Amino acid sequence: MKGNWVVLGVSLLVWGLLFFWFLRVERRIKELEKR
Amino acid sequence: MGWRIGLFLWISATMIVAFLKAPLVATLEETTRVLYFHIPSAWLTVVALGWSMLHSVLYLWKRDLRHDDQAAAAAELGLLFCLAATVSGALWAKAMWGAYWNWDPRETSIFFLLLLYTAYLALRGSIEGDEKRARLSAIYSVLAFVAVPFLIFVVPRMYATLHPDPIINDRGKVDMDPLIRWCFTAMLLGFTGLFFWLQSLRVRVSRLERRAQLARG
Repeated sequence: MKGNWVVLGVSLLVWGLLFFWFLRVERRIKELEKR
Repeated sequence: MGWRIGLFLWISATMIVAFLKAPLVATLEETTRVLYFHIPSAWLTVVALGWSMLHSVLYLWKRDLRHDDQAAAAAELGLLFCLAATVSGALWAKAMWGAYWNWDPRETSIFFLLLLYTAYLALRGSIEGDEKRARLSAIYSVLAFVAVPFLIFVVPRMYATLHPDPIINDRGKVDMDPLIRWCFTAMLLGFTGLFFWLQSLRVRVSRLERRAQLARG
């Protein structure tokens, strides 16, 4: 059961980091589109 | 912003249920969890490559470069999801079969799929001129997609394989615990939403690149 928590934690961390990176990329694209 | 946060929460909640609540399949044991990542990746490969083929046909019909942007972005994402399905499948194979790669019919067919669409990107990279690149790539994409159903659905069923039953098996039934089925369906929907988001980002980048190219002359 402990292993499940570790793998879940790592998976959520990776997904969270990817998600916020995608948001940053989208914000940058919007800035470039406005220029 | 709202639907993006919704997508984040949807996939996160599915992960939590999949890891902490969903039961394990007896034959797959702990590797059951790979299912929630591996199958949506394989599903998105087919969706993305189909989307690429659809926009290639639309490009050949209407000669509008916006369709070429869609086709190229979808092929890139299709290749990315195909790679994710291959890597997750190899990790699963190591745990269940004792080796990362066994040249099982499914592994062989996904390998050919990777080669087919890597060649598509190589083709795009080697042609000068937007119109010419778009036309030749569209023809290649349509022809390449003819092979996709064979490689994913037909070839692996023609030969003996160690790969577990697909979701809809030979008996035409879905043999799955209701909670596993819920997690699996939720992840498929989440991944599909993620694909269309990434697709829109990639297409917008392509348009910015074209605008910059025109500005440079």
